[in-house]
Amino acid sequence: MASSRIEVLNQGGYRSDGRKQHELRSIAIDLAPQGVADGAATITHGLTTVLVSVFGPREAKLRSQTLHDRATISVEVGVAAFSTGERRKRSKGDKRLLELASTIKATFEPVIQTALYPRSQIDIYLHVLEQDGSLLQTCINGTTLALINAGIPLLDFVCAVSGGVHVASPLLDLNQLEENDVPHLTLALMPKTKKITLVTMETRLHVERFEEIFRLAARAAEVIHQEMRAAIRIKANTLVASMGSTRATVDGTDRDGNHMDED
Amino acid sequence: MRPPSPSIPEKEFIQISLQQSLRIDGRQMLEQREPSITFGPELGWVECGLGKTKVIAQIEAKIVKPTPERPYEGIITIHSELSPMASTEYDTGRPTEEEVTITRMLDKVIRRSDTIDKESLCILAKRRVWHLRLTLHFLSDDGNMLDCGCLAGIIALKHFRRPEVEVIGDDVTIHPPTERAPVPLAMHHTPLCLTFAFFPPSPTSDTTSALVLLDPSYLEQRLSTGLMSVALNAQRELCVVHKLGGVPMEIGEVMGVLDIAVKRAKELNRLVEDKLEEDWNTRKRIVEVR
Amino acid sequence: MNILPGEQVNAQHSKLKLGPGLLQISVGNASESAPQPIIATRAGTLKHSSNRSKWWIESNSRRYVPAAQEAVVGIVLQRLGEGYRVDIGTAHSASLDSLAFEGATKRNKPNLKAFPLLSFPACVGSLVYARVSLAHKDMEPELECFDAQTRKAEQFGELKGGFLVRCSLQMCRNLLDPKYFLLPLLGVKFPLEAAVGVNGRVWINAKEPKQIIAMARCIEAADPDGGGQDEIATKKLLDTLDV
Repeated sequence: MASSRIEVLNQGGYRSDGRKQHELRSIAIDLAPQGVADGAATITHGLTTVLVSVFGPREAKLRSQTLHDRATISVEVGVAAFSTGERRKRSKGDKRLLELASTIKATFEPVIQTALYPRSQIDIYLHVLEQDGSLLQTCINGTTLALINAGIPLLDFVCAVSGGVHVASPLLDLNQLEENDVPHLTLALMPKTKKITLVTMETRLHVERFEEIFRLAARAAEVIHQEMRAAIRIKANTLVASMGSTRATVDGTDRDGNHMDED
Repeated sequence: MRPPSPSIPEKEFIQISLQQSLRIDGRQMLEQREPSITFGPELGWVECGLGKTKVIAQIEAKIVKPTPERPYEGIITIHSELSPMASTEYDTGRPTEEEVTITRMLDKVIRRSDTIDKESLCILAKRRVWHLRLTLHFLSDDGNMLDCGCLAGIIALKHFRRPEVEVIGDDVTIHPPTERAPVPLAMHHTPLCLTFAFFPPSPTSDTTSALVLLDPSYLEQRLSTGLMSVALNAQRELCVVHKLGGVPMEIGEVMGVLDIAVKRAKELNRLVEDKLEEDWNTRKRIVEVR
Repeated sequence: MNILPGEQVNAQHSKLKLGPGLLQISVGNASESAPQPIIATRAGTLKHSSNRSKWWIESNSRRYVPAAQEAVVGIVLQRLGEGYRVDIGTAHSASLDSLAFEGATKRNKPNLKAFPLLSFPACVGSLVYARVSLAHKDMEPELECFDAQTRKAEQFGELKGGFLVRCSLQMCRNLLDPKYFLLPLLGVKFPLEAAVGVNGRVWINAKEPKQIIAMARCIEAADPDGGGQDEIATKKLLDTLDV
């Protein structure tokens, strides 16, 4: 295999893209509105970019799908043909995409307060623009932001991060090359309670090694949460400012009582 | 038409009884239904049942040309379809979400976890390889079809014997089972899948950790607030961990569940080995002696 | 006498009445001396009344076909303006008019809050014990929660608490038979409540969850379509359960 010639972790402790073991890739978040969507977010982790738009709560297109006591959530994932190095068109019925969509749906179902909107539907559309590993992580983080942006009530953020183990050294936020080579997992965490809503792993790994990377990834997810929260706060402040309110910023203290910077 | 969701009294009763660690079929919280394993007359045909959940797995092997990307590897394909036979919930046509989850998990547990040594399935590089086709028929659904399907698939692979092949130069000779004893597949390990279901704890208790139960029945699966599937082998190696959404859990709770899975996988592995040996002893006279 | 589908039944009576599983087919011209033959359409035991005027086949199945005046246990699927849509395990869901309750009249439109004592199922997913008031093959079945003559509830209405057990139709009929061993056997051990529908659903209730579980397991064990255990074996099972 071509990838095995590149060292995942070299003697100096650097990874193939120059990162340290526990270093995350740069995160870019864009919360600008897109088209007619009720909420949207574009999130970039390194070279993986996903665009998420959220519609709803609105009347379900199919009446048969409505639930009498809560809203249904529908998730669709599309992948741009140019997103990978090799141009490749994926069909809509691709099992991997269906699985990704159902994973995202299952993750957000208990987090979104669906009971507030009976007989309605919330649609989440994801479009993968660039792929360089950690796709599930990017999709989940993007969906959280888009849902917040759309004003849909959530119990908490959902912050996801991927991790892997190379020989015996844990790595965080894997890129495509690392993902092909080392056993990896993705977890999603709710930062307020520090509880895990999602764990997936599909490669062989010993239980003890799993525990190590699992605990490390849970801490990394909290770091990602900081970034996501900061982006939401900036967006909220701009909104408040443009409303022309005298108190031009949202309350400077968050619920933890920490004083946040007002910008 | 989909069957209606469980009624309110059913929902409430399951909740209350589980809080007292009572299950409706009389099992302990972490007790699996005893798997029933029946082998067919052919090698690689097995019927596996967990309670009323039943799955048939069957293996066929044929010789094909390998794919150009992997000229030295055999091919394994898994075919599984949840027909309306298993439960009125499944329909032909567009696969339901559960079906996607089951097929993807089977693929991960059996194919992607390197269970079968694919290179050993190569007969003649770039020309001839074995193509194994595992077909799973889901016969009835009483909860936890995933574990049952994985177990059936793995046992079928272990039970299967392919005809022996001899290669001299470019000539391939396939020896029918009547001439030479067929050979078992080269397997790296035996992953077994265990599914846990979670229920919210009783409001009066002081813990916030969820109630955990192994091998949910149909009703338990429908009413649970989350499922977690773990595939692992007896050597304490996790192959697949799969927890999608559902009730949020603390890290310690997740690790606790994994510990239970490790213990149970060892027991289950022994059971599988025993059953296979038992069956093999009855066949020895027919197959091996030549 | 056991009979298989297609077999001819020699039933003759001036006022012949055919029950489930029997069909009179028309072959050519019928005459007084050679009436149209009667065939069985199900496998089961052929039974007849003592004066040989009523004939039927007793067999076991899981699918319920509604018949008027039978008591059933249903699950509320939907609340409509005029009543409820109820699943009773038939091919089509049944309708339950909100006027088909005790004390409900057209002028006195039932309202959940105003009639807390009336047994109106509050929401989707509730269980109701009702009687089939109309069963016609071309119409969806209709239910009522009172006796049409007396307009009294007669124990019909919403079933609260407890648990729902599904069993074969024969098991339901057994449970309704006062001579059947199971309910008295359980009743000796602990006080219990049961509402048996003939549609393969039995609602059970007792004080302790483990008693309810014992009931559910015994019903499953004694079901001729399930465990098929007799009185002695069921008793043994019950003794192993700590109730």
